[in-house]
Amino acid sequence: MLELLVILVCVGILASGVLAVWLENLLAAMISAGLASLFAAVSYVLLAAPDVAMAEAAIGSGLATLIFLYTMRKTDGGREP
Amino acid sequence: MADIILKLAGALIFLSITCGVARLVIGRTVVDRIVAIDMLTVVSIALIALYAHLSGRFVYIDVALVYGLLSFLAVLAIARFLERRR
Repeated sequence: MLELLVILVCVGILASGVLAVWLENLLAAMISAGLASLFAAVSYVLLAAPDVAMAEAAIGSGLATLIFLYTMRKTDGGREP
Repeated sequence: MADIILKLAGALIFLSITCGVARLVIGRTVVDRIVAIDMLTVVSIALIALYAHLSGRFVYIDVALVYGLLSFLAVLAIARFLERRR
């Protein structure tokens, strides 16, 4: 059962990474990048590295998303082309 | 009994992650994708908690706790950004 979940989480990393590159809308691409980070944190927990997972959850998914949002608000990136 | 419940929880988490990733890939609007990532965060927290019970290492619960706090903040910031842009 656990192996299936690990494989599913890895497929999730792959799908959200591809989406982050493909999507035209910047906000949706940023959300997909955050999701890749989320799944990476889950896979770190499943690979028995809880401290790395905590750092990934704090920096990759929390802080990076906030900084991207701040940048999109300061620049013109949030508008539809 | 507890074994059956744990297997059921694993199956439900599997189904939820599948549906959430499908919604993220299909998702017509940005709001669809935001709701999908919010749901996937909750499901991931459940998965981490389930794995903490299955492996018997309760350090993993801390990761779920930290993740719960931070994901709430991220979704709140995205919602605020959408509201201000409108």
